[in-house]
Amino acid sequence: MRALLLNGAPEGESYLDSVERHLGAALAGAGWEIDRVALRQSKIADCRGCFGCWIRSPGICVIDDEAREVARLMVGADLILGLTPVVFGGYSAELKRALDRSIGNILPFFMLQAGEVLHARRYPYEWRLAAVGVQGRADEAEADLFRRLAARNARNFQCSLAGSVVLLESDPWEEAAAELTRLLVQVGVGA
Amino acid sequence: MSGLRRALLLVGSPRRARSTSASLGGYLLDRLANHGVTGCAHFLEDLPPAAAYDVGAGSEPAPASNRAVPAIGPALAIGDADLLILAFPLYVDAPPAPVIRAMVAMAEARRRERATDGAPGFVAIVNCGFPEAHHADVALAISGRFAAVCRFRWLGGMAMGLGGMLGGRPLGEGDARLAHLEQGLELAAAALARDEAVPELARELLARPVVTPARFVAMGNRNWSDKAAARGLQDRLREQPYRR
Repeated sequence: MRALLLNGAPEGESYLDSVERHLGAALAGAGWEIDRVALRQSKIADCRGCFGCWIRSPGICVIDDEAREVARLMVGADLILGLTPVVFGGYSAELKRALDRSIGNILPFFMLQAGEVLHARRYPYEWRLAAVGVQGRADEAEADLFRRLAARNARNFQCSLAGSVVLLESDPWEEAAAELTRLLVQVGVGA
Repeated sequence: MSGLRRALLLVGSPRRARSTSASLGGYLLDRLANHGVTGCAHFLEDLPPAAAYDVGAGSEPAPASNRAVPAIGPALAIGDADLLILAFPLYVDAPPAPVIRAMVAMAEARRRERATDGAPGFVAIVNCGFPEAHHADVALAISGRFAAVCRFRWLGGMAMGLGGMLGGRPLGEGDARLAHLEQGLELAAAALARDEAVPELARELLARPVVTPARFVAMGNRNWSDKAAARGLQDRLREQPYRR
């Protein structure tokens, strides 16, 4: 099994590096292979909204930069973990930029699922999605929004298993580590 | 003449003037003008920090926004506006990355200002490609949180479903299929000009589903097939370049 750790921490944010190390160790301990991307160091342009990844070069973004490699790693991963500070209840621009550029991994075609329109899958693989958000101070409204966003992403990418957790930087690390372990179990790691 | 004097439209779509976000926001700005409100518009891309980096600059250093807290370009554009309108497309259930970057920059500038008096009103418009506008609920809620953090007065948000139907064309040109959008934005403008929140009816009109989901799927899939066929790619749309 293979996991992709997408670290969306902006420059100067070190807590998520600790989270990444913890998750990496846990995954390795469970026998998973791991790919890691520190998105703040990646050269990824913003999505142009051109849909070229759907109708010009199907499945590959027309912009030739590191987002193509991130998209390839996403397809190859059984589990994608997104790490980010909670920004107004959503993701950092660093993580979002990579996600925006990954829509070539699904098809332009639509389908109905439980009465709701979604994009159809391009690949036949079972994906799992886990989102880890970090807050500098407790804000339950934003934490709730973060969990809703992660759930929407999981639905739109049709993930078989998904989960999210919001950590508070000031919480004791033991509590955070326990939350991360619960998240991994939720997405089928070490279960 | 209303109490509202100046409105600023920030368009967060990389498709700029050709975008549905610009069409919706621009029409709202036009309607506000009928109520005596002066308006101006900017594309977020034009306000540093803009794109993460120049796409053509293969050997350039890492994006500035990857290295430091963004500059306050978008915040400077606020000026003396007493209404901010942020219009953007829905990307992966949320605002696009450049919009998030601009939000962070504006919030940082507002934090430095520490101003509490005369906070501008703030309204968000989301262009959602799916026929069900509820896909944009999270993005609108994020916009509301942003407004709260910035101490803007949150006057509500509107999401248009089936954004491809408008496709970046201007409103107000007599297309009966778009009349509900024009009516919704008219209602919103009238309320905003009075410094009131976007009425529920305006929200409903923008979100009004004009086709059933099943019909949208059939129409939408045919549309993508036609676009591919026009490029001679109809047999390649389902390719799997990153297959394991």
